[in-house]
Amino acid sequence: MAENTIRKFRWFWPWQDEQEEAWLRSMSQQGWHLVSVGLAGIYRFKSGEPCDCVYRLDYQAYKKKDEQDYLQLFSDAGWEHIGYMSNWHYFRKEAREGEVPEIYTDIESKVAKYKRLLTYLAFFAVIIIAISHNVWFDYPYSWWFVTRAIYLLLTVSLVYSIIRLLLRIRHLRRI
Amino acid sequence: MVRDDINKYLPLTESTYYIMLTLIEPLHGYAVMQKVEEISKGTVKVGPGTLYGAFTALEKEKLIVKVKEEKRRKSYVLTPKGKKVLLNQIKRLEIMTRNGLSVKNLYD
Repeated sequence: MAENTIRKFRWFWPWQDEQEEAWLRSMSQQGWHLVSVGLAGIYRFKSGEPCDCVYRLDYQAYKKKDEQDYLQLFSDAGWEHIGYMSNWHYFRKEAREGEVPEIYTDIESKVAKYKRLLTYLAFFAVIIIAISHNVWFDYPYSWWFVTRAIYLLLTVSLVYSIIRLLLRIRHLRRI
Repeated sequence: MVRDDINKYLPLTESTYYIMLTLIEPLHGYAVMQKVEEISKGTVKVGPGTLYGAFTALEKEKLIVKVKEEKRRKSYVLTPKGKKVLLNQIKRLEIMTRNGLSVKNLYD
């Protein structure tokens, strides 16, 4: 039934995965369970019995041939794979006897996850730098103002994301 | 030359140490998770994210190798190089433990 499903829009930055996990958990506690994740922060939830379900997001850019191994490992450990969106994988597992399940059980592997994400963002940074000349000097062309505004916005968010992730890694290492 | 090669992997993290210990015989991922928890008496738990990362890194460094596949699960086992790394780690831990035990006032 259609009324049992809702769509929600919510934006999370790449360094806010823990906030996103907490939000998804609170949705499940209210009886809304994540069904799928779409582009640009669109989440689909299905209503059901409330549960204390823990969500964990993994960032993993594996080769297609390794997908089976990856998903099997999580499913053997009791994690349900809900879906993925640009290398972010969404997993769910019910918390039992007050124990919060984790997919990363040490600092080093958690840091490695953020490093993979950083590598991906660095790749975008290279593209941004590579096209900078075209954006700033190959004008006038129509819509040059819009192009520049978008470019600037992308650059600022990218740099900000990279800084926030670096700070996060530093914080993790200090614990 | 070979020694340096091995030392660059040391010290292993606690999780990696336990993962490698279990891989003295071929095991698939889930069995590794269970065995680590069992032999560490519950002090070390390895989540699937941590384990997948360790498998990928150890395989890339040729410290472990894929041996077989059954029911869609791949098993890994230590390579001779992996065994050498593990033995060196155990030696380091032995020194650490002996040092800790030799501090007399600590146990008064």
